[in-house]
Amino acid sequence: MVEIQEVSKSFQKTVKDKTAEIKALTDVSLSVRENEFISIIGPSGCGKTTLLKIIDGLIPHDSGQILINGKRVSAPGPDRAVVFQTFALLPWRTVLANVEFSLELRRIPKEERNGIARDYLKRVGLEEFEHHYPHELSGGMQQRAGLARALAVNPMILLMDEPFGSVDAQTRQLLQEELLQLWQREQKTVIFITHSMDEAVYLSDRVVIMTPRPGRVAEILDVPLARPRIADDVRRDPKFVELTNYIWDSLKKAMENGH
Amino acid sequence: MNNSRLKTNIMSVVILAVLWEIAGRTLDSVLIPPLSQIGSAWLRLLVSGKLLSNLMMSLWTLAAGFFLAVIIGVIVGVLMGRFRGVEYFLDLYINALMSAPMTAFVPVLILWFGLGVESRIAVVFLFAVFVIVINTMTGVKQVDRTFVEMGRSFGARETEVFFKIILPAAMPAVMAGIRLGMGRAVKGMVTAEMLLTLTGIGAMIMQYGSAFATDALFAVILTILIVAMITMKLVQVLDRRLTGWKAEIAIE
Repeated sequence: MVEIQEVSKSFQKTVKDKTAEIKALTDVSLSVRENEFISIIGPSGCGKTTLLKIIDGLIPHDSGQILINGKRVSAPGPDRAVVFQTFALLPWRTVLANVEFSLELRRIPKEERNGIARDYLKRVGLEEFEHHYPHELSGGMQQRAGLARALAVNPMILLMDEPFGSVDAQTRQLLQEELLQLWQREQKTVIFITHSMDEAVYLSDRVVIMTPRPGRVAEILDVPLARPRIADDVRRDPKFVELTNYIWDSLKKAMENGH
Repeated sequence: MNNSRLKTNIMSVVILAVLWEIAGRTLDSVLIPPLSQIGSAWLRLLVSGKLLSNLMMSLWTLAAGFFLAVIIGVIVGVLMGRFRGVEYFLDLYINALMSAPMTAFVPVLILWFGLGVESRIAVVFLFAVFVIVINTMTGVKQVDRTFVEMGRSFGARETEVFFKIILPAAMPAVMAGIRLGMGRAVKGMVTAEMLLTLTGIGAMIMQYGSAFATDALFAVILTILIVAMITMKLVQVLDRRLTGWKAEIAIE
């Protein structure tokens, strides 16, 4: 279980000798249940990526605290793994070696890495591409490798930062379905950053709507759609349409209030 | 190199050689000896052992100076790329020396290091080192921040971030610096020898030039061109080995 308690964060920004303080997040509170799929949605610059990095322990926060199963987060740990928007695959390593990289950093013995990495590549459907370099793969395939790299270290919590933001629309839908299937099999808590309303509704148990800078939680919305969710059926479901419309209105309101 | 390129390269060399031969024969001047005459001068120098002994001397200077330039250049470049303090402390000099005519420093180096091999090594080093520093620094600074974040997120220690992410990511830029440095090192080698006029192929140039022995002069110049080409090729092979994952990037 992840508890985010009144987390605030400001950045110093220097423009032409003038240093200004920019509030990125103000008193963000949220608790995420075990194995829950939660999406955080908000306009650009609402600090959602900052929040994700704080949960991962990559950057410090100014006040408040993050607890994972009661333990305070201050640095990255083996219970979390990130899937990056720009994939962050090392171009000098093959797909297999990229997946092994996370295992290497987590000090998994050399003999075991290869087997684990290949197993996860298989789960994301990349077993035939393990010796390819990232630039030889499409964006969708690269992100599958990024997902395999994160899953390979067997984290409790998967932190996904707009993971499908840089692939085309059809690939995006495909990846969403695959992610849901994987999530149902692997039993993970997923915190998913997105700016796509139907992505958030299709994937999540709950959707967190954030306001523009400084980022605050405007609203937390339950998604009462039955699982397993078949993409084509769900998208035609009137409840789905109603929920995305609701999020749209809520985001609009949040943006108007914010300015 | 693909086949049609190789063919065109060979054709270009053959055409130039033929034109040169014709020009040399028709002009019949000591200033442009025909290629065949240069060839026989080259053979003469080779058989007498003079060319080889001088060439070995030059190559030893080149190797020593260039090796030092790579080691020091990469270390300084990495430090400048990683630590802003080091960068601000040094970049003034590095930038000035990068574009300064290095030949101007040769007399100083001779005063400092004497007429021996140390001076020549110092010149080669000085010619090559700054372009290596600057390219390495740029490479290190331009490493994609997301790679570093990814590493930290998966628990990489600082040494791992450096050796497993920053250094390999910067390698194409480092190699570009090394390639450019190689070209400059050859220039440094010849320049030092020409100014010292004691040993090496640079000294041979001055010697034959002042004696109007143009056939031998051109023979030495051609040797230098071949040496430059071979050293460049060697660096390219190394480059492919180390950064084969990257499509060709450097601009000469």
